[in-house]
Amino acid sequence: MTSPQQADGFAPKPYWNPYLSGIGLGLVLLAAFVIMGRGLGASGAFSSVVAYGVQKVAPEHANANAFYAEYLGDGTANPLKDWLVFEVIGVFLGGFISGKIGNRVKGKIEKGPRISSRSRLIYAFLGGGLMAIGAKLARGCTSGQALTGGALLNLGSWAFMISVFIGGYAFAYIMRRQWT
Amino acid sequence: MKWYESFRKMSLNHKLALALFLFGFIALFAGDPYGGARTEINTKEMALIVEKQVDHVSAVELADWIIKNRADYRLVDLRTEKEFAEYAIPTAENIPLTGLTDAGLQRNEKIILYSEGGIHSAQAWFLLKAKGYKSVYMLFGGLDEWKDQVLFPTQPENPSPEQLAVFAKAKEVSKYFGGTPQTGAESAVTRPQSAMPKLSLPTGGVGTQRPRAKKKEGC
Amino acid sequence: MSAPFYKYGLFNDEVSLIVAVFIGLGFGFFLERAGFGNGRKLAAQFYFTDMTVLKVMFTAIVTAMVGVYYLSIFGFLDLSLVYVTPTNLVPQITGGLILGIGFVIGGYCPGTACVSASTGRYDGWAYVAGLFAGILFFGEVFHLFEKFYTSTAMGKVTLPQLFHLPYGLMVFLVCIMALGAFAAAEWGEKKMAAKKED
Repeated sequence: MTSPQQADGFAPKPYWNPYLSGIGLGLVLLAAFVIMGRGLGASGAFSSVVAYGVQKVAPEHANANAFYAEYLGDGTANPLKDWLVFEVIGVFLGGFISGKIGNRVKGKIEKGPRISSRSRLIYAFLGGGLMAIGAKLARGCTSGQALTGGALLNLGSWAFMISVFIGGYAFAYIMRRQWT
Repeated sequence: MKWYESFRKMSLNHKLALALFLFGFIALFAGDPYGGARTEINTKEMALIVEKQVDHVSAVELADWIIKNRADYRLVDLRTEKEFAEYAIPTAENIPLTGLTDAGLQRNEKIILYSEGGIHSAQAWFLLKAKGYKSVYMLFGGLDEWKDQVLFPTQPENPSPEQLAVFAKAKEVSKYFGGTPQTGAESAVTRPQSAMPKLSLPTGGVGTQRPRAKKKEGC
Repeated sequence: MSAPFYKYGLFNDEVSLIVAVFIGLGFGFFLERAGFGNGRKLAAQFYFTDMTVLKVMFTAIVTAMVGVYYLSIFGFLDLSLVYVTPTNLVPQITGGLILGIGFVIGGYCPGTACVSASTGRYDGWAYVAGLFAGILFFGEVFHLFEKFYTSTAMGKVTLPQLFHLPYGLMVFLVCIMALGAFAAAEWGEKKMAAKKED
């Protein structure tokens, strides 16, 4: 499916050498350290959006909740005017630009051959939900903890990273019908 | 150049791996990265700062900041713990000279130092400057000046109207900090008896206007 | 000039948001370049058929680690001003396990899901929807396990501090570990490819 067909100019181009993409990613992370003094993130942005949404619907409820409060701040600024929210907007744009260049922007569902599209979407939703819970418990996801904390030799991040791989491999067999 | 030839023939991945190994290997001998941004001590520049006295904050200025509850600075008391317990300028935190560089002061913070007179704070000032702290200031005249100017201001003899106005304000400030303004000729006599005010204002450098960390910087 | 620029007040909060968009732009770009907009490629990591996740992640980590290290050694960057998330060991390990399971079920992590969604993958959008739902759920039941969430608080701990090793030695060890992992990944991929052909 990703195999490039030479005859067709619109076929998706192959992905980059993983080490070069990795260096690119690492330099972006380094830039974040140097310019901002902080690392990358993703799940935090979603938390800000959720906290903002809850506050809009039920302000009292949101303000009384210690978890939301952390993302709502002291009420002087809009919770959406947050560094990570803007960074994630950039991620959407950057992914789209790279996809466009590589002819890889296409409406479709990524799944193994043995699973229906419907099931795949349900699994994606469930996986997203589970991932969110894990990320909040771990105080960051693969970007905020594994990449950022990994590069700063943060103990919690390395412990987190190792357990991500353990969790993934432990559950891989159960999920094999979805992917292989 | 045999090694060069063999390097050229290496695949890109192997070249990158070699580079990574070298970076890692040199790191073995390169030292600790937590030393902070290294600064060349520019003695001339520092001498100029000293000469022009731009590194000073006057007692009256500081009093004004405390009253206004400004929180964009950290006030450091360099005296001993015992002296600190007896009296300290409100909002100050006690950090002895020896513990200065590991007291968690950040290099991007505004730091105001004071001691009894001015000597210790001047020494601490050089120490921090040499360690790359950007904005370090000294309380001019130290705690002595704070007592003279803020806690126990003395009305000048035969004051002009302007001087009276200034003193009226100083009296207010003094009362705020629990001091005793000195009026008239008896000041020299009464001063030793003027008790140091009890520590009624909170110490510890927590002004309410300190921009509350909006949220964690992590995810 | 001293870094981090933002913490030395070289620009204000408003500008920092513009910086955020550009940093994110680079982040998303390289994620997509690596193939991380594709859940199949990501999940393949857990079936040993495609070790791209491990390769890209570790390369990024060592690149940034080495960069931070040398910039600090040269006195350009003040590492003590770079934010390090405090460690809460047990919740973080638990979170990691849950996240790993979520990874293999959903096929993405939060960052890669954004890239997947923006390149048109419907499963990416479903995943993003799941993220919102999961966070909302977490927020609503937060009070039930707030104690667990804040347990085993260790503050800011780095590996060199934990093992009482010099920072430079730790950098070297991580580099060696990464090189070992890369070699193993290349070898494993070849093995799996050969097995497939049988």
